[in-house]
Amino acid sequence: MSKYIVKSVLQVVPVLLILTLIVFILVHVTGDPVTMMLPDTATPEDRRILTEALGLDKPLHVQYGLFLSRLLQGDFGESFRYGQSALPIVLERLPASFELAAASMIVACFLAVPFGIWSALKRNTFIDLLISGVSVLGKAMPNFWVGIMLILLVAVHLGWTPVSGRGGFSHLVLPALTLGTGIAAEMTRLVRSSVLEIIGQDYIRTARSKGLGERIVIGKHALRNALIPIVTITGLQLTNLVGGSLVTETVFSWPGMGQLIVQAVSTHDMAIVQAAVFVIALMVIAINLLTDLAYQALDPRIKYN
Amino acid sequence: MRRGNAKWPLAILLLMIAAIAGCSAAETGGPPGVQRDGAEKVLTIGNTIDNVTFDVHDHGNTQVESIHVNLFEYLVKKDGSDPSKKLPGLAVSWEQLDDMTWRFKLREGVKFHNGDPFTSADVKFTLERVAQDPSLIDYSSYSSIKQVNVIDDFTVDIVTKQPDPILLARLSRISSGILPEKYFKEKGVEGFNAAPVGTGPYKFVKWVKDDRVELVKNTEYWGGDPKWDRLVFRTIPEATTRISELLTGAIDIAVIIPPADIQRVKDSGTTYYTDLESARVQSLLVRQTPGTVTANPKVREAIELAIDKQAIVDSVLGGAGVPTQEAIGPGILGHLPSLFNTNIYNVERAKQLLAEAGYPDGVELTLSSPASTKEVAEAIAAYLTEANFKVKLEILEQTVYKQRDNSNTFKELALQGKGNSMFEAPLPLEIFITENAKGQTDYSNPEVDRLLKAAAVNMDDKERESQYQKVQQILAVDRPRIFLYQNKFNYGVNNRIGFTPRADEMFYAEDIVLKQ
Repeated sequence: MSKYIVKSVLQVVPVLLILTLIVFILVHVTGDPVTMMLPDTATPEDRRILTEALGLDKPLHVQYGLFLSRLLQGDFGESFRYGQSALPIVLERLPASFELAAASMIVACFLAVPFGIWSALKRNTFIDLLISGVSVLGKAMPNFWVGIMLILLVAVHLGWTPVSGRGGFSHLVLPALTLGTGIAAEMTRLVRSSVLEIIGQDYIRTARSKGLGERIVIGKHALRNALIPIVTITGLQLTNLVGGSLVTETVFSWPGMGQLIVQAVSTHDMAIVQAAVFVIALMVIAINLLTDLAYQALDPRIKYN
Repeated sequence: MRRGNAKWPLAILLLMIAAIAGCSAAETGGPPGVQRDGAEKVLTIGNTIDNVTFDVHDHGNTQVESIHVNLFEYLVKKDGSDPSKKLPGLAVSWEQLDDMTWRFKLREGVKFHNGDPFTSADVKFTLERVAQDPSLIDYSSYSSIKQVNVIDDFTVDIVTKQPDPILLARLSRISSGILPEKYFKEKGVEGFNAAPVGTGPYKFVKWVKDDRVELVKNTEYWGGDPKWDRLVFRTIPEATTRISELLTGAIDIAVIIPPADIQRVKDSGTTYYTDLESARVQSLLVRQTPGTVTANPKVREAIELAIDKQAIVDSVLGGAGVPTQEAIGPGILGHLPSLFNTNIYNVERAKQLLAEAGYPDGVELTLSSPASTKEVAEAIAAYLTEANFKVKLEILEQTVYKQRDNSNTFKELALQGKGNSMFEAPLPLEIFITENAKGQTDYSNPEVDRLLKAAAVNMDDKERESQYQKVQQILAVDRPRIFLYQNKFNYGVNNRIGFTPRADEMFYAEDIVLKQ
């Protein structure tokens, strides 16, 4: 098994290299950071001076080579916007993004897993229709709208939580609910279909015919098997969240990665885009690896070598 | 038992929410206007963007400057309601020794937040740094300064390359925040950004990126005990969120209230609305390159007469603007009252002019606009269509728009807003000098060139004023730009705060009062 982990880690290196190349090409091809940085009064001469000062006048392959050599020393370069080293700026944002991602996943699981199971067990009854209908509605409601509605209702009208910003637990409630319910809407359907597949299996019929109570049949036998697809889905959704969520972060003034990356992309702030993509890629790879390892723990039939 | 499955997690979730609500009721604003932090006086302001840097030379942003003016101080301060009036800051008096040399007497007994004394060396360091380093963003506004000579610890001579009638305007904005030479050189830019030091009434506490900047009162401030204990500048980009924070009392002042929310702020009973004319003018860039449809002056006049500027201000901007035919407005030297707040809308005359120009059946042209002014562009396109123009409307994403702007690849018309952080005429008017207009509008008028070049080095204010006014009169007829309206900027303010907007959009906490 440790051979498997080592192999996975080694595979990371070429993946990351290719990623940096793709990001480099895309950011360069789509525009010029100097344009975004200078005020309208800047003359073409000013632009030329800044372009030279930032090393942007060198040929692309030279720029990429310089970037790679610095990367090997852990230096992603300086952010054009902040004038500071890019990697610390990106890492600074991680705790906020983690907090929101984790809280949203908890909300999502809390809603999706029980409701998904329930609607699977009550398949084709009114409960099932209700839950499925609500989850379709949930998917249709944009995050933006849900967030603002929650602010107006819960924070302004009722005064139960602060409006926005990051702070204590109470600051986390609304953004986590906003993001979490959106994810839950999608997850519920997936949980439902996973559970449906399992309760149709023979061993469930066997368990029932042995006279076991429904609680044990579902709670112990079905659920454990359903956990594998549920863990897969949770892992996938988590990888979506690690890049931050621009809309939720903007609505709730949450200082996460989403806002940072979008700003960096629109100002062609190469160093930050590279650093952020790199960090996110590492996290996605880590989550996938953890998910794979979780399977082994959940299902003794699965072995890696 | 099957039913039980879902109910428990749901119940727990609801209980958690209720618990949080119970705990946090004390945390939130409570009744707005009540000071939450006991005896501590905290002023909280909601901006739309985050601070970018504490290197005053490396940004050009008004909101960022509005934080910095509490940390750093200028030699010369602009008056809040009349930006052409200059007040003593870190300089107590000044005089011109000759056309290119200005002598400033500096305030004595001033200390930086780290205890270092403020002297001429710091002025020399600050101004020469931005005047001589082209990689700094604000360089082009200071490159007119040749050098700064230290006469003694509290006297400096600023020498300009040419006579510079607007030097005082340069010294009262953005990059003129005086930096501590010794400390800055020791720490370097990154170190300074982590722990900035100035002479202002408030000291740096922390900067949580994209969240807030916190400042605390400087008990050693030369101007006396500062009014507030703490200043918090929060970054709240989403308008509805910002206004909600204002309405719950979590912030005291909110910037940029969209037209749709103005009434909510007025009606809340705990907040009030206030606005002021900005120096920002929205205009249409008009291409005059020979061969273009708009090279014909009758076509350009027809375009301007076809647009009902007042109607656009009233319906699209919610009244937050004033129609204008000039590049600069009241309070700025060169302003021409006869071109301000005018109504020349005349769609019949526009159609007539278009026919006289040789297009009785109308003519095609392209109007480009950034996405942020989409509604204004759509309104203009509609007006032009009524006057027989066939308008191709091109709404561009911000970065694409900027690139087209820099490469001068707009077609006939482009909608643009131009600010004027200097509050002086050269910035908005010198773009009409032939060399500067090349490729952009391709406008060329030797009389305008002569007047603008003379005014740039004319130290006589009265003469300068009439020169700029003449230029504006010519431009109103030649129309290399069709000026549309001057923007107003606005704020929502909590009733417990007494706040008068400043023409330069700055937040000087010392001028903001807690009404008790």
